[in-house]
Amino acid sequence: MSEASLAAAEGRRSGTETRLGLLCLAVLVVLLFLAPGLVNPGILFVIGMTLIQAVFALSWNLLFGFTGLASFGHAGFFAIGAYFTGAALRYDFHLPFLAVLAVAGLLGALVALAIGVVALKRLTGIFLAVLTVALTEAMAKIIGFSPALGEQDGLGNIPRPVIDLGLFRIDLTHGDDYYRFLVVATVLIVAALWWVVHSRLGRTFRAIREDADRARFVGIDVARYRVISFMISGGTAALAGALSAPLTRIVTLDQVNWLASTQPILNSLLGGFTSFWGPIVGSAAFSTINYFTRGFPGLSEIMVGGILVVVILVAPTGILGLLGKLRRRALGKGGRK
Amino acid sequence: MSSQAVFVLFNGMAQGMAFFLVAAGLTWVFGILKILNLAHGAFFMLGAYIAYSVGGAWPASIWTFLAVALVAAAAVGVLGYLTDVLVLRRLRNVDYHYALIATFGLMLFCEGVAKAIWGTDYFAVMPPPEVDRAIVVGGSYISVYTLFVIGTGLALYAALEIVMHRTWAGKIMRAVSNDPWMAGTVGINVPLVLMLSVVASFVLAGFAGGVLVPNQALSPHVGASFVLYAFMAVVIGGLGSIRGTFLACILLGIVESANATFMAQYGGIAIYILLAVALVWKPNGLFPAQGTT
Repeated sequence: MSEASLAAAEGRRSGTETRLGLLCLAVLVVLLFLAPGLVNPGILFVIGMTLIQAVFALSWNLLFGFTGLASFGHAGFFAIGAYFTGAALRYDFHLPFLAVLAVAGLLGALVALAIGVVALKRLTGIFLAVLTVALTEAMAKIIGFSPALGEQDGLGNIPRPVIDLGLFRIDLTHGDDYYRFLVVATVLIVAALWWVVHSRLGRTFRAIREDADRARFVGIDVARYRVISFMISGGTAALAGALSAPLTRIVTLDQVNWLASTQPILNSLLGGFTSFWGPIVGSAAFSTINYFTRGFPGLSEIMVGGILVVVILVAPTGILGLLGKLRRRALGKGGRK
Repeated sequence: MSSQAVFVLFNGMAQGMAFFLVAAGLTWVFGILKILNLAHGAFFMLGAYIAYSVGGAWPASIWTFLAVALVAAAAVGVLGYLTDVLVLRRLRNVDYHYALIATFGLMLFCEGVAKAIWGTDYFAVMPPPEVDRAIVVGGSYISVYTLFVIGTGLALYAALEIVMHRTWAGKIMRAVSNDPWMAGTVGINVPLVLMLSVVASFVLAGFAGGVLVPNQALSPHVGASFVLYAFMAVVIGGLGSIRGTFLACILLGIVESANATFMAQYGGIAIYILLAVALVWKPNGLFPAQGTT
């Protein structure tokens, strides 16, 4: 995490490179949108889960990469969204689907606010780490006691929604249609987060990450902005969970444990947490690895844990950090740190 | 009523001491290295598995049982040395976030290794015959094995307090914990002290695994379920403070036991409320250790 790699990851690119990047992004979105006609349903499901994991990882990295706080129980927020949406669709809360998504995100943000009030006032990351892990475990306990949430068996048979916009209806009950909706939703969420990160708010977050004391010195209310970041992050994670429930059509306690909480951490670090796009690259890379090693169950923990340790020790800036280093070396702009 | 109160207190004490056996190594290594080792529970779990593999499910006597626990402690100590050389040593001068994430990865890695070696089936280990019976106190049955766990926990606490505050080694360790640079300038071999502390913490984890293995069904998840309580105890007690951790463990044990007795349908929830209340009331813990912020 030298200054050079940070600067390289956060901008200072030439205009042509920016335009090239936007073009690649546009092509990628079009390809994602056309994917139902190009690949088989199994792979389509993997792509859909990758999109959700990407949003989930982005929400975690807003906290870690941009505000300097680490949550080890982010699966708790994901589960809030997933279980709420699952219950809303299954028991028919008489809410439009878009309202369900909004409420799910809001719930995540409110829980984040509650934790923030408890922990962020005097936040060494260790308190937040233990508290977020405890939150997730407590949630798993509560869900395990709730017959309406399926106890240990999970909440199954979740119907896919129909969006009624008054003038016309969008029927998402077919898998391909829901997948297209998911692509649109992901693009919107990513765009919103990009805007947050590059707005005045995002610059405030980064000032806190760089040096909380100095940020306080120039008049930033550090505790308040940490809570705001935590709320945006928790809300986005809940939204990712909310989008996942109609795709998988079942929500289980497997999504509320330590391993589930590691996924966004792993994806962010693998892709490179210093870059906005890192978590997305990491999610795609990890889904690919997972897809080709799916025949060896039980080794997933060894893989996940091992990759995490190696990435931290060897390449803390992840794939994008390595690419940035290579790019600078190729351009001859002082590849050395 | 009174027999129920005795039951709650006794059970709570037993659980608290079981938590303390796990939390002791955790708080020890945090006090000196300032690294919260999230993998601690996983090494506790490996210690329990090693004890099962060495000693089998039916220990012949309390002495073989303790010997097996010491073998597990030594084996996990060796693993601790390897972990220190390969991972923890490289994390000493980086931001604590990386240390947390790396030890988190290490925890998953260990769980995966346990699954690969021992499978996901549950194993049961019996307490040694001398303590595998119950006595009646105040109208309720009390297992002698839990008395043994309580005794071991108290003995461990006494030993740690004596080592930390009454011996030369403890003095050196406190010096390194307070100011490693200054300790180095007065001639203390700081890297050696740090390495030995890490190994000591892992030895404690392995020993706890060996002693507590009859306490519950043995599975790769046993580490995660125990270590969460240990983390909570360490945070409530004041990071790095052995006395605070000890008291927090007792508190957690009694709250958990009262919760299980009086509100069994919501078992396991009260300790999270306790955690939230403790963090709001005393954010630095019951006994904030010196040198930690």
